[in-house]
Amino acid sequence: MSTTTAQAGTPGAGPDAVVPKAQDDGAGPDRRRRDRLSRHNLAGWLFSTPFLVLFLTFMAFPIVATLLMSFTDFGLRNVTDPLSAQFVGLDNYTKLFQDDKFLKALFNTGYFVVLGVPLTIGSGLAAAVLLNSGIDRLRTFFRVGFYAPVVTAIVAVAVIWRFVLDPSEGLIAGLGHQLGVQTPDFLGSETLAMPSLIMMAVWRNMGSAMVLFLAGLQAIPTEVREAARIDGAGIFQEFRRITVPLLRPTMLYVAVMTTIGFLNVFEEPFVMTDGGPSDSTLTISLHMYREGFDFFHMGYASAMAYVLFVIVLAITTLQLRLLKDKT
Amino acid sequence: MTRTKSVSVAATVVVTALALTSCGSGGGEQVAADKKQTLTVWAMGEEGTRLKAVTDEFTKQHPNIKVKVTPVGWDVVHQKLVSAIAAKKTPDMAQMGSTMMGEFIALDALEPVDTKTFKKSDFFPATWDSNVKDGTAYGVPWYADTRALYYRTDLAKKAGIDKAPSTWKEQQALAAAYQKAGAEWGTDLQPSSTGAWQSWVQYLYSAGGELIGEDGKPALDSPAAIRAFTEWAGYFKKGLAKKTFTPGYDVTKDFGSGKRPMFQSGPWMVRNIADQQPQIKDKYKVVPVPADKTSTSWVGGASLVTFKNSAHKAAAEQLTQYLTTPKTQAQWYEADKALPANKAAWDEPALKGGGDSLATFKTSLDTAKAIPPLEKWNEFAAAVEGALAKISQGADPAATAKALQKTAEGLVG
Repeated sequence: MSTTTAQAGTPGAGPDAVVPKAQDDGAGPDRRRRDRLSRHNLAGWLFSTPFLVLFLTFMAFPIVATLLMSFTDFGLRNVTDPLSAQFVGLDNYTKLFQDDKFLKALFNTGYFVVLGVPLTIGSGLAAAVLLNSGIDRLRTFFRVGFYAPVVTAIVAVAVIWRFVLDPSEGLIAGLGHQLGVQTPDFLGSETLAMPSLIMMAVWRNMGSAMVLFLAGLQAIPTEVREAARIDGAGIFQEFRRITVPLLRPTMLYVAVMTTIGFLNVFEEPFVMTDGGPSDSTLTISLHMYREGFDFFHMGYASAMAYVLFVIVLAITTLQLRLLKDKT
Repeated sequence: MTRTKSVSVAATVVVTALALTSCGSGGGEQVAADKKQTLTVWAMGEEGTRLKAVTDEFTKQHPNIKVKVTPVGWDVVHQKLVSAIAAKKTPDMAQMGSTMMGEFIALDALEPVDTKTFKKSDFFPATWDSNVKDGTAYGVPWYADTRALYYRTDLAKKAGIDKAPSTWKEQQALAAAYQKAGAEWGTDLQPSSTGAWQSWVQYLYSAGGELIGEDGKPALDSPAAIRAFTEWAGYFKKGLAKKTFTPGYDVTKDFGSGKRPMFQSGPWMVRNIADQQPQIKDKYKVVPVPADKTSTSWVGGASLVTFKNSAHKAAAEQLTQYLTTPKTQAQWYEADKALPANKAAWDEPALKGGGDSLATFKTSLDTAKAIPPLEKWNEFAAAVEGALAKISQGADPAATAKALQKTAEGLVG
């Protein structure tokens, strides 16, 4: 899962960004329009044209088309003649909330986020703090080690984790066997499959959180820490009163990006469990993929995409409100 | 994770492609077979690479026709074909998996087969039937596969059984005997997940059931279907087969080690076992699926289709004809180990001396039944798999079958 996902609906730099701020001051709407299109700004427009063309073709158009599609019954037969799709109003949306599978997927995604995000942030922060202060030697080695899973292809990761979790000859089963303990079938069990995937996702994503926290930690001035120590702060007090508050902006960024990534979880269940056993690892994105590409219910899948988009938007807004720097 | 985005992007690519090509060719003007031309063919996976050698031979006989083969992965072919059809930029010909036929027939993308050139009686009946919708055939069978039972003879002997299982009862007795003699599982049987239907349909057909009844409606709660569900579930209930499934599981290794000394699969497993577990070469046998009322397996494989939009239909017909003659089919068997769909090809030397397992598949193909072409096959199969998953975990077969029938009725028609 990459946390650098460009979300549908993220506003890009619109044409306004090109207009130099100073010219806006005190200008009426007419003046403004003329300014925007004036010769003076021509170079700016020319420079931004490649971006705008790409953005409009590959981002804005699909986003709008998906929204429109979510109000139709667009299916396989409409492929050759898209305009023949029937408008069905909010039918897709009402159907979604009566779809047991979707509700289960919603719950599973929630489970994944609620457990996965704090674990990722916590372990990323712990690793960063240790690397920043505790370990001097081999620092680069550990940094690379923790970051490697982030850049490893999901297929390779799946192969490794399948081996780790394999119930008959896997790593964990082998260790258990040595100790005389019967280990469970992690991916085959309805209760353990999701926690197993969460562990895997945490392992895959803590690296990016760690790197961001490391950068944040290095930006904390040493004077502040020294002052705290002189005032008699212990390690934990220093962490609570200095490190955490000063890391707030980093924390906010990591929390938002990790949550967005985790809400969109797709690859882990796709490669490891195929949503099973009994849909216990079916997530919204996986359900959407199946409806859209296996069954070609494009209208329905689009509606699902928009529900997920609204959820992502709501949670992100909430996080920005709650974690905003209040100072 | 960019799934939200990719659904929308893919959806729109389809739409845009359309908008941009709305004035595209409708396949109106046809190029005669003897004119100079290039024929484009999409073939799947490994077959795409191997097909090149065969088409080179064809070009020697027809120097005016250049054949361009594009290998396409099985995992992406469905999407690529749908996009190509939306954009009206299909190849002239393609290989098509038997369960994909229904969908593309419904899209009105395929050219009906000229039954004067291709005779149903030349092919195994089920391979032909899976291409027929409302009496019209839309593809010519290319190669076939069907399910048979693989079992370890050495371990069976150790467990005190000498005879190949030929009925459901004997099969289950053998599984129990294997387990008693020390095997971890009596048999391999996929309980859930994508592809699970492939472990069950042979039970349905052998019990005399149908996926789609004569009235054109699903027949998944018929007495035969419930009988098949119950028998299939018996293996899980009695602990003879593992109730959980890991996607991507391959039975070859466990078959070689004796952990799962029995399974049902297609002809390619003969080769996999020879490659990966050569030590059990003479220690296993392939026999037709055990019988209830009859021993009836189902047929998969691939057909050759020509697209409606193609401007080279005459040349496509010549290539199709070439690929389905007994001689080329036998050559193809040697190259790809895919079973010929043309019956006469089985008299060619390459297949005549093919050994017992090949003879088993020949017998199975003679009696096997087709998977009917359904527009919403993927959904239909997923519904069956959902029911199988429940039944394997102990749900009541009759009640689950009833619910499945109701879902399936909404998908057919």
